[in-house]
Amino acid sequence: MSDEAIIIRLRNILRDNSAEEYDWDQVNGDTTIESLGIDSLSILDLLYDIDQEFDIQLEGADVVDTRTVGEIAALLKQRGA
Amino acid sequence: MSMERRRVVVTGLGVASAIGVDEASMWQRLLAAEGGIGELQALDTTGYKVSIGAEVDRPAVTARLESLGRRAIDRALDLGLVAGADALLQAGLVDEPPYQEQDVAVIFGTGVGSAQSHHTAFNAFFKKGVRGLRPTTVPRCMYNAISSGLSIHFKLSGPNYMIVSACTSATNAIGTAFRMVRDGYAETVLCGGAEGFFDPFFYGVWNNLGVLSTNPDPARACRPFDADRDGCVLGEGAGALVIESYDRARARGARIRGEILGYGESSDALHRTSPSADGQAKAMQQALAEAGVKASELSHINAHGTATHANDLTESQSIRKVLGDAVDAVPVVANKSYFGHTLGASGALETIVTLLALEHGMAPPNLNLDRPDPQCDLNLVGSEPVPLNSPLAMKNSFGFGGGNGVLVLRKAD
Repeated sequence: MSDEAIIIRLRNILRDNSAEEYDWDQVNGDTTIESLGIDSLSILDLLYDIDQEFDIQLEGADVVDTRTVGEIAALLKQRGA
Repeated sequence: MSMERRRVVVTGLGVASAIGVDEASMWQRLLAAEGGIGELQALDTTGYKVSIGAEVDRPAVTARLESLGRRAIDRALDLGLVAGADALLQAGLVDEPPYQEQDVAVIFGTGVGSAQSHHTAFNAFFKKGVRGLRPTTVPRCMYNAISSGLSIHFKLSGPNYMIVSACTSATNAIGTAFRMVRDGYAETVLCGGAEGFFDPFFYGVWNNLGVLSTNPDPARACRPFDADRDGCVLGEGAGALVIESYDRARARGARIRGEILGYGESSDALHRTSPSADGQAKAMQQALAEAGVKASELSHINAHGTATHANDLTESQSIRKVLGDAVDAVPVVANKSYFGHTLGASGALETIVTLLALEHGMAPPNLNLDRPDPQCDLNLVGSEPVPLNSPLAMKNSFGFGGGNGVLVLRKAD
């Protein structure tokens, strides 16, 4: 899967788990997770949705240690996405 | 805290029903005798005996949620938020976000709760096992997702909890809220009921219970007190009321939409689904006694009126028992032929209709009462609205499990 394709699929998951309204089309690899209104409870659902979408089980620590959308995408690619 | 009993008034009304997502539209539809029951759009009813219901307009709900800065989460919560928002806005307690924290309690009723979230979770579990279960299934499925959702969204920091008593839930919630304000435990309460359950599982269990009308004509299927009635029709919806002490409402210049004078509650202690006239009569007598109102003074009764054979027959007996000689003079209406049986929300939607009827001095027509059941010997309103001759009314709600709740209401001064 291309980096671009992973980020598009990730963007939809992030949108569904955020309580805030953004111009989601503008979210790219450099966007930080912190800026997207994802709280600690939403991170659990984010991991769940990533598993349902990519069939890859990430740990909370994986995402907490990851600052940007691009870094999560890279992690997913590394795990076979 | 004063031990003096305080007057309790209603200062905000909000609805999400099959005949309108605002009270003005709902009242127009009631007066025009335009029901909202149709073929179900929300699910595929292939293989079901029944295929009709009363659905709330989906685009209208979505638009209202968007205006609150929210997306759909669970149908019961979504409908509760839409109704709750309008009640709070009308009462002048909230304006545009960001909301300020305020000491308002939230007491809501539901029979089923988060049906959509439960169905989603069951589906995922049966497909993928425990890995299929979304981590936030617990807060999505808890019954108090509705009351806490309202509390958190609107920053209402009084107590919030749910009352779960099948079809009496919302009336029990309003009655409990009434007592909280009357006795000084709360100044202001957002109360009501919410129900959103058109999913294949929940509709299926009702399909199999055998109490739903199998009449294939949606417009004519729900026939409270009619000789040809054959069961109820399910409806989704929510009703919300802001209630507060009379003194506070006056002090802040709020528009008063009506007053709650009395509340009665009882249990049949008899059967899981069959009603009892004695249990119902006990709740009505309590509510009238607390209100200090004689049955003969009522302008009308808003019946539970589910259109099942058993309910309408038993309710006719209990009303006759309580009203005695006054029964022929007091008109009786049933609203479920308009927006279906909304179970744990029905008491809220129908209390709102009762308050609107008092405000307009007019009882809405009964739909489909073509041949009143001679065994339901009541003064049933026909196909035209009936002018009301007093400012007092009674609202009945009865539920599976034998719980009964009754409110006595008065038009605003």
